[in-house]
Amino acid sequence: MLITLEETVKLINEGKILHIAADDQLLAQLPKGNWIGGTTPYFIGSDGGVFTKDLLYVDEIGFAEDFRVSCYGKYNIFQVVEECFDNGMTLLIMPYGSAVAAKYAKEAPDVEELLLHPTLGWISGLDLDKGGEARVYDGTSGESYTDRAVAMYLRLPEGKSAMINMINIFTDDKTDPVIRFYDNELAVTKCSVNGQEVNFAEYIEKKGINTKMPLVADYNGSYINTSVKGVENGTVSFYAPVFRNVDYRFATAVGDYAAEFTARIDAAAAHDPVFSFNCILNYLYGSLYGKKIPPYTGPVTFGEIAYQLLNQTLVYCEIMG
Amino acid sequence: MDTQAQEKLEKVLRGELRYTSGNLAFNILITKMQKKLQADPGGMDSCMNEIELFLAKYPIVAKVDLANIAAL
Repeated sequence: MLITLEETVKLINEGKILHIAADDQLLAQLPKGNWIGGTTPYFIGSDGGVFTKDLLYVDEIGFAEDFRVSCYGKYNIFQVVEECFDNGMTLLIMPYGSAVAAKYAKEAPDVEELLLHPTLGWISGLDLDKGGEARVYDGTSGESYTDRAVAMYLRLPEGKSAMINMINIFTDDKTDPVIRFYDNELAVTKCSVNGQEVNFAEYIEKKGINTKMPLVADYNGSYINTSVKGVENGTVSFYAPVFRNVDYRFATAVGDYAAEFTARIDAAAAHDPVFSFNCILNYLYGSLYGKKIPPYTGPVTFGEIAYQLLNQTLVYCEIMG
Repeated sequence: MDTQAQEKLEKVLRGELRYTSGNLAFNILITKMQKKLQADPGGMDSCMNEIELFLAKYPIVAKVDLANIAAL
């Protein structure tokens, strides 16, 4: 729910467990309490997509029996796998462009047992027109960081499980060329296309590829996107890493982005997501400003975490059982 | 896990059958195990152990997916 600063302070002072997303100047005014937060001025509210620096998006976490908050840097971020509750879930926020986010993005898929611990979250961001710093907040200490991740561990009642899923409008055409990369990288110059080494930037230019379309990898029917950040000086950079030994193709063109997005939301048929995080690229390319996409309300993010870092996706969590 | 589900799941991991779960984590795990098996074709037991561990953690997923896999 999008609420005022005063309403948010009231909830904090009542001792509620909260997840909060807002512009930095609002988060900085909040008192200490049982909350974590991250910066963004973009949201999907119950009235649709909105840009605001006057309201905060707040999830009240009433389904957890207990919680803990910890902060991590790039050298210990994967302690999240060890420190979580056995029957619980982890809500993780990392600042856009931080070393800890890059480390997590590159290495999470190889971390043993990560899939055994429901881990959901987002990359905090900033006003794309005005700039600024992406930041995360640990409300329990009152500290904020541009270079650390904040994790809230939530313990669930016996018999309940957190189910994490995503909505992705992109798919591939299996007859398109297979693109492979040589390492886990956030920027590349070379890759192989159908087994032949090429300069990736030249390949994109020569083929006239629309880089609004992400690279997609087929994980047993779940398509995971890697969005292109830019093509400059012969280097292609990404919002999430590409991985070695994974087959990629550019996503097939989407005629009406917004209509396709709405169709996938209807098909997903989630009833009561407790969290949902929607990518800034969906917000921009899908023209979600002013559009309602119930029941998925939450911050618009600069990367989504569903176990690993995802792009151009809506991730959500439901409590089942 | 019953024998029929186990046999079919082994076929899924070897790429002889195709099964897509509605659960993101299970799909990622199946892909991970398929790659592991490609690198080490004798590693089926270890892959099945990892899957059993996952399914024990998520009984809701296990119930639906194992029934679907057994019916492939």
